[in-house]
Amino acid sequence: MTKNLEQLVESLAAEAATVTPAPHPFMLGLKWVAAAALYIVASLAISGLRPDLAHALHNPWFIAELVALLLVFIATAFSAALLAFPDLHQKRALAFSPVVLFALFVVLMGLAWHADSPPAPLPVHSWQCTLTIMLMSMLPAVWTFYAMRKFASTHYHWAGSIALLSAFSVGALWMRLHEVNDSIVHVVEWHYLPMLAVGLTGLWLGKKLLRW
Amino acid sequence: MAEPIADLEALMRQSQNGDKLAYAELLRESAHLLRPFLAKRLNSSTEVDDVLQEVLISIHKARHTYDGRRPYKPWVYAIAKFRLQDHLRTHYADQLHHAVDIAELENILPQDVTESGLSYESISGEVHKLPEKQAAILQFLHQDGYTSKEVAEKLGMTESAVKVAAHRAYKVLRQRLER
Repeated sequence: MTKNLEQLVESLAAEAATVTPAPHPFMLGLKWVAAAALYIVASLAISGLRPDLAHALHNPWFIAELVALLLVFIATAFSAALLAFPDLHQKRALAFSPVVLFALFVVLMGLAWHADSPPAPLPVHSWQCTLTIMLMSMLPAVWTFYAMRKFASTHYHWAGSIALLSAFSVGALWMRLHEVNDSIVHVVEWHYLPMLAVGLTGLWLGKKLLRW
Repeated sequence: MAEPIADLEALMRQSQNGDKLAYAELLRESAHLLRPFLAKRLNSSTEVDDVLQEVLISIHKARHTYDGRRPYKPWVYAIAKFRLQDHLRTHYADQLHHAVDIAELENILPQDVTESGLSYESISGEVHKLPEKQAAILQFLHQDGYTSKEVAEKLGMTESAVKVAAHRAYKVLRQRLER
């Protein structure tokens, strides 16, 4: 070992103190899911549930969409927790599981679009939904990134992207439970397509915020 | 006789409990473990030492993310790979910046030489005064008509290194010929 390395080892060892090991990523993910659930409930308590929710729940495509979105959210939350660890807690397949769920979600939305015949009327608004979802996602995004920065991600691009998508799914879930709207065209265009931009922004944000 | 393999997991658990001696031992063992991995992927021993230092600092920063119930090696290799990629990305980004500038300059500089009625033969005296490698590169490029890629293969260099050397040679020649 060179002199420089030996000096470094000695100085690092001199700084060694008892460290509290990080929580298991599953506990971390569970905490984020629980916090997001509380956030959605609290937001809906303030903003109100869509008045036709009971009727909407008779539509199997609406239920399938909600379930798929919920699964996407849960998978991204756990994946973000795994991606915050250098070795992905040695659960690589699980860390990248949201890819499969997103693929399923896309297929499901395609089928729902196909089944939407005659198409439900488009709402009068458009981009306002994207903006509102983004605003609703801000708080979950901030707490997820804040929590992830305490760990050591070696996949910061992916970690940022997944974290932001997870936060956006929270906003999207809230929106589907709040807004009176049955137009799948509108939902795809203004609720879910922006996820692509969000994912890309997350890649950049991950680099900026999760490098260590 | 092979050296006894230290129980890295046990050393890390002791380190997390504040045992300084165990921690120093763990860092030494990690450096020992990672050196061949880095040496295979980097050109010089200085670079290996630099990256190894980065890795040790990263182990220190991230040691709370190690879970004592998991094997230590995948964790430490993940950090080493990450720091190595970071190093290579920075290194090649610098080279790429160079290469872009050179590509632009390369289009201009030889033109200036030919526009003034100069040929390789007429300046070969000046070329031979250049450092050996630069002279050889110019000869391959302008007398023998090889591409930068072919020259790189011939001289065992990277293509961008050939361009950098050629660019420096053009610069020197230009200064000398303008005098």
